[in-house]
Amino acid sequence: MIVLDKTYQKGEYPGVIAIDPGLCKGCDACRRHCPTGAITGMFGAVHSIDIAECINCGQCLINCPFGAPYETVDPIDMVISKLKDKSIMVVGIIAPAVRVAIGEEFGLPAGKLATKKMYGAMRKAGFEILDNNFAADLTIMEEGTEFIQRARHALFNEESEHGHIGPLPQFTSCCPAWVRFVELYYPVLLPNLSTAKSPQQMAGAVAKTYGAMHVWNKAPVKIFTVGIMPCTAKKFEASRPEFNSAYQYLAKEGKAGASASYPDVDAVLTTRDLSTVLKKMNIDLAHEKETDGGTLLAEYTGAGTIFGNTGGVMEAALRTAHKVLTGEEMKPLEFKKVRGFKGVKAVSVPLMDKKYDKKVTVNVAVVNGLRGNIKPVLDDVVQGRSPYHFIEVMNCPGGCVNGGGQPIQKNGSSWLEAAMPWFAWK
Amino acid sequence: MGSKEFILKHSLGVRIFHYILVVSFVPLAFTGIVLYFKPYDELTMNLYMRIHVILGIVLTLDAIAFFLVGFERVVTFIKRMFTFSGDDVRWFTILGGYPQKFLLRKKVPVPPMGKYNSGQKVFGICVVVGGTILIVTGWALWAFPHILPVGMGLLFGNLHMIFGWILSIFLLVHIFLGIYMFDDFKAMFLHGMIPYGKAEETAPKWVKTELVKIENHV
Amino acid sequence: MKKQTYQYAESPFNMSRREFITIGGIVIALLALPAVWIRSGIAKRNSYIRARTKGLYTDDTQSKVRVSHGNTAVSKMYTDFAQHPLSEISEELFHTHHYINRRAA
Repeated sequence: MIVLDKTYQKGEYPGVIAIDPGLCKGCDACRRHCPTGAITGMFGAVHSIDIAECINCGQCLINCPFGAPYETVDPIDMVISKLKDKSIMVVGIIAPAVRVAIGEEFGLPAGKLATKKMYGAMRKAGFEILDNNFAADLTIMEEGTEFIQRARHALFNEESEHGHIGPLPQFTSCCPAWVRFVELYYPVLLPNLSTAKSPQQMAGAVAKTYGAMHVWNKAPVKIFTVGIMPCTAKKFEASRPEFNSAYQYLAKEGKAGASASYPDVDAVLTTRDLSTVLKKMNIDLAHEKETDGGTLLAEYTGAGTIFGNTGGVMEAALRTAHKVLTGEEMKPLEFKKVRGFKGVKAVSVPLMDKKYDKKVTVNVAVVNGLRGNIKPVLDDVVQGRSPYHFIEVMNCPGGCVNGGGQPIQKNGSSWLEAAMPWFAWK
Repeated sequence: MGSKEFILKHSLGVRIFHYILVVSFVPLAFTGIVLYFKPYDELTMNLYMRIHVILGIVLTLDAIAFFLVGFERVVTFIKRMFTFSGDDVRWFTILGGYPQKFLLRKKVPVPPMGKYNSGQKVFGICVVVGGTILIVTGWALWAFPHILPVGMGLLFGNLHMIFGWILSIFLLVHIFLGIYMFDDFKAMFLHGMIPYGKAEETAPKWVKTELVKIENHV
Repeated sequence: MKKQTYQYAESPFNMSRREFITIGGIVIALLALPAVWIRSGIAKRNSYIRARTKGLYTDDTQSKVRVSHGNTAVSKMYTDFAQHPLSEISEELFHTHHYINRRAA
């Protein structure tokens, strides 16, 4: 892959989104949704995306009235050929947000929970199912433990058995647009990012190790992992060269099965892409038989599935943190204060740390919609005056359910703030 | 009905409305077409867009002002635009006699017309309907393209383009015939008056049924 | 120069009051309808996000297990393979230390 720009590592997809100059009217709608100002071109002139500033979120794509932005990475035909290759096991890693939107491409109403039909359609196409909600639960275990470690280190000077403990506040790292945002604009805060990978990347790694050896009994090199995501930035994330942990782990034990490295996640289909794959294979999801996920890698909890909503990661993390710290399950399990579309939601959670027999107050914040909401939060952290210990960040307004890879709703717009006119000029 | 007698066809308010319409809409059409093709560089396209927007504001204010101040004239105009009869159908079958006049230099009898002939009524409908659509969609696309539901945004973009093209092309016909009928041109652009004889010839139904004699004229 | 004068003008009574109200009413209604339609379209623009959000919270309330630490498949994965969160295997497979400053030369 030719690296066109120095803000991309060798091997990464440089610029997942581009604008078709034949369709662009220069109306500036996309520019107002862009969280980084990556769209160049004056009002009235054809616009284009500066890939050095773009975080691949796709908000421009789903909000352009004329459909001018498009994805430069199209793995649809390649995935179909892998599905038809009987020697290869294609594993579909399905994000939570997909199951409430995929139906829209098949005539079902927005928000219809179509999990079992989705499983049925995908298994008919030849996918094995690894539900990303399983990986989300896994992410809570990893990231929640990491957070408690950081918190207890900051509050009680607890040391870890191995390795360096990161600083507070801890930021979630499951949103790849958000991660690239920090890497581009706030690199000083990189140590604050959770070291936990996103559920997609954990899923890819677990599929080619644990999945291969303990669940499917298949050689890792013969497993082709496909992220099915509501997100265009996940295509970029999967291409990050460091995400070949399964290969590196297996190679140490001579089990890699290949001399050349392979990524943890081989390809990513957006929700839209998946519907194209199914339609090309003549599968009508709306009328498919409902099936289950097939293996325990499709098993998930309610905490995992709410990852698709803004505040969902936080709520899931709090349910587990509550149990770990206090020894008891949170009652009620619903934590409504982190739900909703407000740009920055802040909550103080009083907890009893049983290990140290001390009352602690965990201050959490949930940010959705990077544009307009993230800067004050980050500037506070940089200045050392942030009151928060744990911050969930999702680039897309409303969370991943409104991601750049979701079906485009004709009567929808991502604009969550008040409908104020904005008279373009430049 | 002496040959030197005149009818007031367009009052001052109407003429002012039309002047502002002319100076705003003609360059709006031109800049709109350039914006459609986007042939120039970024800075130039932005300049064309800014001009288009400013003129759009002028046109909107002109339309709103006339709508409020001259609401009665607007209703009258709409009544005239949408009243069709058998005479209009017959007018269309001979295309008002214009092709014969220009291409064959032949004068053919034309059915009796009101203040506006059938072709003008169709143009009037286009202007009222198309103009309203252009104004509404234009403002929505300028102020709210990021907030409109994407399907509505696409619809407005297409409507703005379609009616922009229709009116721009129809406008050429209007300008040509409007200048060709030079008495009417003077009426609309200068003093508002048309010679009685000319009106009898081109708008007999109007002359017969809608006029009153003025005793103390201005 | 003699000022141009006119001897005839349009009668001010060219339609009945009923006609005036009817046509005027239709004009205003036809202008108001798109305004109402646009306003309601803009007001409902986020409803699809709300619907999808609700769908996931429904998936949560319908789930047998609603806490991540209760996922028996995840527990089995730890027992059979990764041992526990932040173990050596977990660090290697599920964590990353490769965030980079993209502007660094």
